Amino acid sequence: MDSIDAVRALRERLTDELLVTSLGTPSYLVNAAGDRPLNFYLWAAMGMASSTGLGLAIAQPKRRVVVVDGDGAALMNLGGMVTVASRAPANLLWVILENTVFLETGGQPIATGRGADLVQLARGAGIARAERVISLDGLGALLDAGLSEPGPTLVVARVGQDGSKEFPIVDPIRLKHRFRDALGLPVR
Amino acid sequence: MTAAWWEIVFERFKANDVRLIAHVPDAGLAALIRACEADPSFEVVPLTREEEGVGILSGGYLGGMRGALLMQSSGLGNSVNALGGLPLAYQIPFLLLITPRGRLAEFNPSQVPAGRAATKVLDALDVETVTLERVGEVETLVDQAIYTAFSTYRPVAMIASTLLTGGKRA
Repeated sequence: MDSIDAVRALRERLTDELLVTSLGTPSYLVNAAGDRPLNFYLWAAMGMASSTGLGLAIAQPKRRVVVVDGDGAALMNLGGMVTVASRAPANLLWVILENTVFLETGGQPIATGRGADLVQLARGAGIARAERVISLDGLGALLDAGLSEPGPTLVVARVGQDGSKEFPIVDPIRLKHRFRDALGLPVR
Repeated sequence: MTAAWWEIVFERFKANDVRLIAHVPDAGLAALIRACEADPSFEVVPLTREEEGVGILSGGYLGGMRGALLMQSSGLGNSVNALGGLPLAYQIPFLLLITPRGRLAEFNPSQVPAGRAATKVLDALDVETVTLERVGEVETLVDQAIYTAFSTYRPVAMIASTLLTGGKRA
């Protein structure tokens, strides 16, 4: 499936979920699918989207938290997978867009295209609800479950290398303020 | 009997609602971590690598929860890019409590190079840094560090001197 269709399938299911995106292609895709104040885009700190989502899930246990990650970023913070698993936040849905390359920097192949299996790694880390999906219909079903049932849930969506260059708001302070404001938290 | 330095830090964390504790431990931080784990008002998250704590605490702040990252100075090097890309870039209040390695009372020469670089790395990142040296000053300095981080929307690093921790002898 095209990555933009995968992210649109997520976007059309969102209501009041808190969404964190990894830098680069995941941020651009999520923005292209429809910006919203509860989208928190990372513009740096590669690998940290899942950790940021974990912290958010701990701080906001009554809200569903969704992380949209890239496979390159997920590989960069594989240790964080163990931490997510051991903490086991029931309100976390972690979506990894698996395009098997570093798309942002020219499409250099990475280990997910050469046998490294993020689903098996996640299960080994202790995330029992971890699945790979290749079709849009299959993705929809996993997203529905991941947004409603107790997690943590990891969905590895095998996607094409279509990507996007629709940059979201680039000012990090504005992104922070509008996110906290949308959550009803004080903004200076 | 006067309170130990870590008991005072624990009390100041509690009084200031700093309750999300992410850590890669040090022997010098063990008693503080134990106290936080024993108190149900704290959320304690052991990390595989210090950088994760930068993401977790940034997410915590976005969700309205205050926290601190506890680690040895060796962990600072593991955290540099994340500190730049999250709390510094987004102006997220951020507390670090660091025990120095490779400085005084160190038995292990391999800890020296990164340990000696730690304060320079904090300087290079333009992070406000305070050293906790005397038990009698800990309450005031920790309160001021927390206040400064949350009023200026920046990281503040507290370094627990080997005068307090005793260092790392063989």
